[in-house]
Amino acid sequence: MTPEAYIQTGTTLKWLLGIAWLLPLVGFAVEIFGGYWGKRFDPASNGKKTKLAAYMAVFCIGTGFLLSLSAFFIWKGATDVQLVTAAHAAEHGESHDGDHGDGHDHHDGHDHDEGHGHDAESGHDQDESHEHPHSNETLPPADDVRGQSPEEAEDHEGHGNDPYAAAFSGTFYELAHFGDLRISIDYYIDGLTLLMFCMVTLIATCIHIFAIGYMSDELTEDYEDHFVHLPGGKHFHRPGRFYRFFAFLSLFSFSMLGLVLAGNIFQVFVFWELVGVCSYLLIGFYVERHSASTAANKAFIMNRVGDFGFLIGLMILWTYFGTFQFANTDPQAAGDLGLFQMARDSHGQLDVVDTEEGKIVHLRGSPEDSERSIPYWLLIAAGIGIFGGCIGKSAQFPLQPWLPDAMEGPTPVSALVHSATMVAAGVYLTGRFYPMFTPEVLLTIAYIGCITLFIGATIAVVATDIKRVLAYSTISQLGYMMLALGVGGWGAGLYHLITHAFFKSLMFLCSGSVIHGCHHEQEMTKMGGLYKKMPITCWTMFIGVVAISGLAIPVLNVGLAGFYSKDAIVASGLAFMSGNATHFLLFFVPLVTAGITAFYMFRLWFMTFAGPPKDQHVYDHAHESPSVMTVPLIILSIFAIGCAWFGVLEGWILTSEPTHVAAGGTSAHHVALTLPSHDAIHGVHHTAGTAALFAAVVGAALSAVFYWKGLVDPAVIKRSFSGVHHFLVEKWQFDNLYDVMFVRPVHVVARWCTSFDKNVLDAFLHSLSRMTVVASSWDRKFDETFVDGLVNIVGTSTYRVGRSLQVVQTGKLRQYIMFIALGVLGLFVLLFMFFPRT
Amino acid sequence: MSVSEILNGLIYGDLTRSIEVFCPEVLLCVTVIVLLLLRLFSLDHKIPPYVIALGGSVVAFVAVLLQFVFFTTGGAETNLGAGETLFSLFQLTEAGVGSPGELFTGLLMHDAFTLFFRLGLTFFLVLVVALTVLTGIPDNEDGPDFYTLLIGSTIGMMVATSANHLLMLFLGVEMMSVPSYVMVGFLKGRRSSSEAALKYVVYGAGTAGIMLYGLSLIAGLLGTAEFAELGPRLAYLIDGDGVTLSNPNIVVTLLGVMMVLVGLAFKLSLVPFHFWCPDAFEGAPAEIGGFLSVASKAAAFALLVRFLLAMTASGGGELESLNLYLGLALGVMAAVTMTFGNLAAYGQTNVKRLLAYSTIAHAGYMLMAVSAMLVITNAAESSGWSAAQVQDGAARCVEGLMYYLAVYLFMNLAAFAIVALIRNETFSEEIEDYNGLAHHSGTMTVLCVCMGVAMFSLLGMPPFGGFFAKLLIFASVWNAGSIHWLMWALVVIAGLNTIFSLFYYLRVLKAMFIAPRPEGVRSINMSGLVGAYVVVITLPILLMGASPLQNNLSATARYVASVLFP
Repeated sequence: MTPEAYIQTGTTLKWLLGIAWLLPLVGFAVEIFGGYWGKRFDPASNGKKTKLAAYMAVFCIGTGFLLSLSAFFIWKGATDVQLVTAAHAAEHGESHDGDHGDGHDHHDGHDHDEGHGHDAESGHDQDESHEHPHSNETLPPADDVRGQSPEEAEDHEGHGNDPYAAAFSGTFYELAHFGDLRISIDYYIDGLTLLMFCMVTLIATCIHIFAIGYMSDELTEDYEDHFVHLPGGKHFHRPGRFYRFFAFLSLFSFSMLGLVLAGNIFQVFVFWELVGVCSYLLIGFYVERHSASTAANKAFIMNRVGDFGFLIGLMILWTYFGTFQFANTDPQAAGDLGLFQMARDSHGQLDVVDTEEGKIVHLRGSPEDSERSIPYWLLIAAGIGIFGGCIGKSAQFPLQPWLPDAMEGPTPVSALVHSATMVAAGVYLTGRFYPMFTPEVLLTIAYIGCITLFIGATIAVVATDIKRVLAYSTISQLGYMMLALGVGGWGAGLYHLITHAFFKSLMFLCSGSVIHGCHHEQEMTKMGGLYKKMPITCWTMFIGVVAISGLAIPVLNVGLAGFYSKDAIVASGLAFMSGNATHFLLFFVPLVTAGITAFYMFRLWFMTFAGPPKDQHVYDHAHESPSVMTVPLIILSIFAIGCAWFGVLEGWILTSEPTHVAAGGTSAHHVALTLPSHDAIHGVHHTAGTAALFAAVVGAALSAVFYWKGLVDPAVIKRSFSGVHHFLVEKWQFDNLYDVMFVRPVHVVARWCTSFDKNVLDAFLHSLSRMTVVASSWDRKFDETFVDGLVNIVGTSTYRVGRSLQVVQTGKLRQYIMFIALGVLGLFVLLFMFFPRT
Repeated sequence: MSVSEILNGLIYGDLTRSIEVFCPEVLLCVTVIVLLLLRLFSLDHKIPPYVIALGGSVVAFVAVLLQFVFFTTGGAETNLGAGETLFSLFQLTEAGVGSPGELFTGLLMHDAFTLFFRLGLTFFLVLVVALTVLTGIPDNEDGPDFYTLLIGSTIGMMVATSANHLLMLFLGVEMMSVPSYVMVGFLKGRRSSSEAALKYVVYGAGTAGIMLYGLSLIAGLLGTAEFAELGPRLAYLIDGDGVTLSNPNIVVTLLGVMMVLVGLAFKLSLVPFHFWCPDAFEGAPAEIGGFLSVASKAAAFALLVRFLLAMTASGGGELESLNLYLGLALGVMAAVTMTFGNLAAYGQTNVKRLLAYSTIAHAGYMLMAVSAMLVITNAAESSGWSAAQVQDGAARCVEGLMYYLAVYLFMNLAAFAIVALIRNETFSEEIEDYNGLAHHSGTMTVLCVCMGVAMFSLLGMPPFGGFFAKLLIFASVWNAGSIHWLMWALVVIAGLNTIFSLFYYLRVLKAMFIAPRPEGVRSINMSGLVGAYVVVITLPILLMGASPLQNNLSATARYVASVLFP
């Protein structure tokens, strides 16, 4: 691509995505004001509100999706990326045929011609190992750093050896420039950005449409909130907030897209906080419910804990790197490298040097400050700090308890914000910031993910609230993603992010449909047998359950979306374990949890839809949702089935993979680690896949035994393991632990502070104020007697004069005439008295 | 000069030019005739009289406006899009409207000063007619009569502002007074109204008699009645005889001038010739009060300035001491008037009466400018003022006066209009009945806020127009203080008076805004049109205070004033 074409493409992408990003903001503004005024100035509505706000929001986000999609095609056409990579085919080929080992590194010599169709199943079923290209051909290593001199840079054009060849970065608008600090609104567009855009806008569109139906009972002037009990057994009444809901959704969409589009880490932080605010607003949508408002607070505060780490990371990065930008990919801009380019060379290697003060990392940059470096441990600290933000946002251990409580928000919010997009932003950022993470940080990430996925899954087993099961499942799945990223499976983690977004939002919407149909009943113990009442919801939910469980047809190896991505994760874990035997947990825990996942998901489905109705009242009133709610379910279920097929998705993700990931490598700076290469992962794919599938089938079968066929009574198990059960029901005691560790100490300290304030500071202030009062009362006496007295004398005397003047105004005509004469005479006399006589 | 000579002179002399300049007055006369003819042919039931009156006054206003624009720009390029067409429609010519000078063989004067006042008067007429339409004070039966009187009075004022002859002075004053006597008594059924009209008539007749006496003394002494001749002839008459009471000519002059001033003082309601004012205003409808308080005062001030300038036009010489003496006497009169007006307003319970005293006080403020003008133009050589300084100082005085009148037009009209509009709803003009009016919703609140603006402007609070008007006058008077210390004293008294006036203006606002709304008062619904009208006439008060318009207006006033002091 010539520099001109590059710039042109970059500009087109920038505007397409920029508009897609800003449209929801416009929508937000219109909805929040229009909603307010529309209510007052629409006499025809008769108190019944219009759905205009919803249409506006759907229009904005839907247009955003179309723009994102067209941006994707423009990007694909303009760059040389191969979506259906041979690497993908290789994985599947291998999973059938076993070992190709390292061999396919040398299977090159194949130019992957565009015409070669990977149509339908054939791409998976046939052995296409002969097509394996060099795995680096997708992301060929560049032999030089960017931007050294224009000639050199141009020289590299068209060779495809630029690690950022398919990425476009630049600046929308520079906000401020303080010395070296540039605060600007940047963009960084590569395959991952585009993928996130398409995913977010597509899911958001579906959820917006779903919400039109789900929130329709807000379309009234008198909404009765059955969950708010007022004294006297009454319920709380308030005007409906339909428009407000959609305004918040639009604001959230804007913030989320901004987060994804951001070209520098500071901007990410800004939008990071913005999505946090939107999440806060949406969780607390039913603000009158005590549980909702406390849940919103909890989410907000816990996220702030993580953001504290984020801020520390930002400070370290700014101090040592002097820039916030991810990478500068403009072929014509010399100098001004981004963070990734400074930290790693074009082969993706860190330049670590041992010095007397310890290990330092040499940073690359413009020649004049070639001596820039950062201590290795600080790079670790920065990485862990940034990851701390991701822990908060993605509800990872130990900051996971906010997510289940966040289910107090309306279900579309849970589907959009708390499963598909915002909570996945932590994973996205970990993936985006991958080049800045040292192996030590990656290990931390892996273990955090590992702990989280296990905790989440175990609690989900005993949860009975349908949305909470899904929430714990989300936590667990996010843990999977983190684990994958941590063990070097960069593609696997983000792969699972996308597939999970589809099937989890699908399941949330299904649960929303159930809740809507059952008149806001969320307890699964009162459901059952609903498959007759709501068939569409039932079967779309089933698709979601199968997808998340990772079930597949064993021989054909065809499964739903979750099967592929979970396979990739487990394979990464296995490959990592084979390199680092001490970290065997990173393989076995996810493997076992895959079984648990299948168990609790099928448990949910059986309890809700299968078997006899458990509560006749709920069952009798249940009904299928209107089509405005079921159509999004069907759309999403199509994606939950097929989004991973043909390898397009995986190939798309891999176009953005950081250069150093594919080759793997060992590191022994502080912790000895071997990160698996792509080849190593391919090598164990089949084994891992089979194991995971086996685990899932076992889990699903157990679930059927317990909850469908009722062969074993779950209550018996519950009794015999009552200690464990209680422990799980209490969510591993996290809430109690935090209560004891943080909340109560804070309360105690606060009480001390209050008493100090009251007894010492206030006493002092009160005495001061009392003295002032005494002094001012003296002052007042002086004022009243002397100053006021004087003023009053003047006032009353002028008033008296004024009154006396009226006496002349008698109203008698005779006197008036006499006054004329007297006046003239008087003037006469006066004039002549003062005029010089001689 | 025989009658035939005069006729010939009229016909072959400046008649065409005179008619061209006099066109707006002629148009108003035509309006009056149409109104009366309508009545004659009983068409006044088909066409409401106010339509004719409004149309006629608007046309007259446009005619004056065009004259003003033509005069100031010399008929050159104007901002008015259709300027050229309109100029030719009214047949404005360079020799006619374009050039200042005498009209009708010297009876009237045509210059920027006159034009400015005529412009203001016609504009004011339009506003008052609009107000009467809104308040409906003349019903259809009385409409033609009422508008005939209103327009006739306005014609008289316009004649008075362009008077260039003692005869025209008297005619002008009488022409504007006689219709106003009738208008004051227009509410025939009300005893107080008739009584007020009678008082006004008798009082007016008395002062007119005195003024006529004064005019005859002056004309007899100087042998002419033309303004242009008065000054030089006086100088010629006194020449070398000394300006003391031992000189009988001086005594006669002094008497004559003083008696003419009594006539004008009646129109300006200066103390001690103000007795008619509170009674007449209380008895008359508020609309008429507003009309009289602004229009007849403006005309009388124009007349006063012109007459005094004519009398003192001798320029230098021994008469200066006489003129200075006159100026100081006016200053004393101004001080007494404003103090009396403000203090007497204290105890009033009727809003119209209160406003009547307020207009007396304001006449005092404005008279200050006239007195300072006389003092400055007759500054003795010893005071060290150069000719240019004198010119500039005097022009500033007149500028202040005109600026004050322009702002006064809006703020007084707004106050009276609001009183009239509230009267239509509550049937009361007592201050205590204004309690809690601001707590009504809708248009009434707008009215109260506008009343607040008008009152604060009358009071002279920044940033309203009234503040800048007072500032201009006070500054010019203070300027004159270096000639005679009395001027400084005058400024101090005026400042004190401003503080005095605080009390009674705020009493009205206190009743409106702070006092609670009495129990059981029905809520008031007024049409939005009323609110719009009030806002439209209140807005200029703000614009003349804190907007670029202030600069434009004062620049125009300066230009107009400078014409008087060549």
